[in-house]
Amino acid sequence: MGFELRDHTADVAVAATGHSLEAVFAAVADGLAAASCDEIPAETGDRFSLSVTAESREALLFDYLDELIYLRDTRAELPVDHRVDSIAGPASGDRSGADDRPAEWYLEASARGVPLDAVDAREVKAVTYSEMRLERVGEDEAGGWEAYVVFDV
Amino acid sequence: MTTFDANGITLERVREHVWEIPQEGDMRAPARVLASEALLEEIKEDKSLEQIKNTTHLPGITNHAICMPDTHQGYGFPVGGVGALDAEDGCISPGAVGYDINCGVRMMRTNLTYDELQGREEELVDSLFANIPSGLGGGGIVEPGIDAVDEILARGVDWALENGHAVEEDLLHCEDEGMREGAAPEKVSQKAKDRGKNQIGSLGSGNHFLEVQRVTDVFDSGVGEAYGLEEDQIVVLIHCGSRGLGHQTCNDYLRKIEQQHKGLLDQLPDKELAAAPAGSQLAEDYYGAMNAAINFAWVNRQLIMHRTRQVFERVFDRSWESMDMHLLYDVAHNIAKKETHTVNADGDERELYVHRKGATRAFPAGHPEVPKAYRDVGQPVIIPGSMGAGSYVLRGGENSMDLTFGSTAHGAGRLMSRTQAKNEYWGGDVQQDLEDQQAIYVKAQSGATIAEEAPGVYKDVDEVVRVSDELGIGDKVARTFPVCNIKG
Repeated sequence: MGFELRDHTADVAVAATGHSLEAVFAAVADGLAAASCDEIPAETGDRFSLSVTAESREALLFDYLDELIYLRDTRAELPVDHRVDSIAGPASGDRSGADDRPAEWYLEASARGVPLDAVDAREVKAVTYSEMRLERVGEDEAGGWEAYVVFDV
Repeated sequence: MTTFDANGITLERVREHVWEIPQEGDMRAPARVLASEALLEEIKEDKSLEQIKNTTHLPGITNHAICMPDTHQGYGFPVGGVGALDAEDGCISPGAVGYDINCGVRMMRTNLTYDELQGREEELVDSLFANIPSGLGGGGIVEPGIDAVDEILARGVDWALENGHAVEEDLLHCEDEGMREGAAPEKVSQKAKDRGKNQIGSLGSGNHFLEVQRVTDVFDSGVGEAYGLEEDQIVVLIHCGSRGLGHQTCNDYLRKIEQQHKGLLDQLPDKELAAAPAGSQLAEDYYGAMNAAINFAWVNRQLIMHRTRQVFERVFDRSWESMDMHLLYDVAHNIAKKETHTVNADGDERELYVHRKGATRAFPAGHPEVPKAYRDVGQPVIIPGSMGAGSYVLRGGENSMDLTFGSTAHGAGRLMSRTQAKNEYWGGDVQQDLEDQQAIYVKAQSGATIAEEAPGVYKDVDEVVRVSDELGIGDKVARTFPVCNIKG
């Protein structure tokens, strides 16, 4: 469970696994942080929360990573130590009350924002859909999720 | 017939340096690769050829999708790709423009010679590095809090002129005089503007850089004179784009296309090729937003160039005007433009969205869209090499309109991935070797960037330019060699 950075001629790819959808999303986001910075300081920075909605599972992953890059530029912080607290989809019905039921996919997450002037980080320009994979592997209980995402550098 | 087997994809030789992948399956046109066999050996090693084949699935693809000699794998559309899509019944594709809208290069001349600079390289590189924002979160030249984004998006370099960051002459030496018509700032999202507003006048990181160079060779003295280039002269090359504003604009529209034109998207082999059908509201909106981002990038390079003039003034204790620091030209290499081209032997003309992603417009002498200053000799084309190799100035070649919709290469093209580069090189060693062995002074925010951009990770720029020259799509005019380099 976790992520690996993979070779891609001009860009960087992250291959991630997780026992749940939440875990694999967080692992890809940690891969994005690792692709941006070789030595992430352990303590620096405060945590912040974010939420994202999208029309499908893959779109939710795309928009989550896109939001993290947006927040990096506008907060001037590198988001690290990602936690995805919950992901709910239209069919999951795991949010209370019929009125609250999401019409689409919804994610709540948090990250620690390390001020950019405290790290030696480089710019990842954007998340891409190129060769993106998000797949369930193995049987329901014992299995997990795999993701592959290419980032433009 | 001579063929070249590229790991399962067969290319047929049309003539010297021109190879064709015949139309098959759902391809709407053949694909072409303009390369020597030596370059093909490198191109076949990644997914470039599969990607150029995929590109031919786009509706309205006209004649061929084409790989320039420096092609390498991108996302969806290969870097070094040219795709001309019919502007009436075709489409426009944000992914075929690229994330960094109007990423490009500009070259500024000086009247200094290498002799006059020698001994002051360190002072100059330090001063450039201290005064020109680079890297992640380094801010921009425009003061934070001044929200000029909308005006910049609408007016381009004209905004810079009004605000003291440009002189009239700069506009005359930039494509479209530094202002793209049809820019629609209201079609650029607030998110994109928020990302852009603190980055106005900044290099960014990755392969972007500012380099002080010396002219080592002038191959064509007539054109060299028209461009104001002579041997031993110092010039400045600036390579960057539209920063976070452009990146966000690309993704905003990829997502809108996914939501509004799913039918077309489902026919395409790669989601990153997502395209808006010509004539749709979204195609209009994207074209307006992209044009606005083009203006933003031109202003970005203009501010960096003007700041460079001020740095030279301090280091050499003379006015920039007395050092004759004038813009030679600015070229975009991630762009789509509506252009009219002759599309067949009968002379039929079509209006096309010409997508150049990692490719440079290279219009020949006499073309009405070449700025007046260069119309008699052809448009300047600037091809940056790696930081240990030369860069080139070409001029649009007379075969470019027939072969490539008026385009040529944009650089050396990567050979090695960034992760592999970091395993092979250490930034500090690369920096020291460049200084000790080649008298090139490099300064970067990050050692990892130096390793990832080490000269060895790029293709041979000499070979790329040789092929462009022999094809007559971009002719060699001059070669330059780095003296000082700053990057993110």
